[in-house]
Amino acid sequence: MASTDDESTVDPAEALRLIEHERANLERELTPDPRWMFWPWGLTWLIGFGLFFLRWGPDERVLVDLPDWLPTGALTVLLMAAGALSGIKGARSGGSISGPATDRGRMFGFSWSAGFGGLALVFSQFSDVIPGFRLGLLWGGGLVALIGTLFMAGGAVWNDRTTFLLGAWISVVNAAGVLAGPGWHSLIVAVAGGGGLLVAGLIGWLRLR
Amino acid sequence: MSDPALPDLDPVIHAQARLRVVSALSQLHEDDRIVFPKLQEILRMTPGNLSVHLRKLEDAGYVEVQKTHRGRTPATLVRLTRRGRLAFDDYVTALRALLRPAKEP
Repeated sequence: MASTDDESTVDPAEALRLIEHERANLERELTPDPRWMFWPWGLTWLIGFGLFFLRWGPDERVLVDLPDWLPTGALTVLLMAAGALSGIKGARSGGSISGPATDRGRMFGFSWSAGFGGLALVFSQFSDVIPGFRLGLLWGGGLVALIGTLFMAGGAVWNDRTTFLLGAWISVVNAAGVLAGPGWHSLIVAVAGGGGLLVAGLIGWLRLR
Repeated sequence: MSDPALPDLDPVIHAQARLRVVSALSQLHEDDRIVFPKLQEILRMTPGNLSVHLRKLEDAGYVEVQKTHRGRTPATLVRLTRRGRLAFDDYVTALRALLRPAKEP
């Protein structure tokens, strides 16, 4: 606890130090731990798209004969878990603030749901006309493009360069993967995209400490 | 502070505890409010202590304390007013002015 002799004053240099310290301290307390915001997503991509690559490899090869439901199921469950984790952590740190910042966060959260819901609705209309290998590219490429865009938009909303650059990186990696074709897309997104998310979490955390 | 060339420091802000409160609040975006318990936790002050200083800052018109409800639970929200923000900026400017002559040989 701070001293209770509160009318005590400090010299100007000490006052300036105190100001900087309290401002940085509040910022740190209110920013969600970047590890919780990025690492669940990074692991989700690494594992989820890794399984996709093994099941639906390049040139229609099956590297590991996993049941069809396993990669899709694992990716869906992991995505939901990652969304819940980062949502809870983000809400907890934003919950003590009320005003324009919270409204911004809430609107941004809803735009994620709208984007995912909208794409899933469109893509599911093509399940029976597109062969499995191409369908994976449609879903994977489409959702990762959305995520890259939303990270860039998030960087714009919170004026956060790391998040913006991460979004740009994800968008580039995704485009390269889509052009490389089915199978390769999963591998590239798993390693470069998932890896990028893990690195972003680490950088953000080191900066906050 | 007898030197007339040196600026006076705002006595409302120039007390260690209130300086810490105002500094922390100044980091919030304008119009954003913080809940009392979180502010208390961040500043590591007792509730009673923080209340006393908030009241003094409120009397000066620097801080706005709003009692409201979040769902069913009562909540106290705190923000720096425009006037408080200006006073804080002036205070920081005054501090810098006080330090400047000291650095010259």
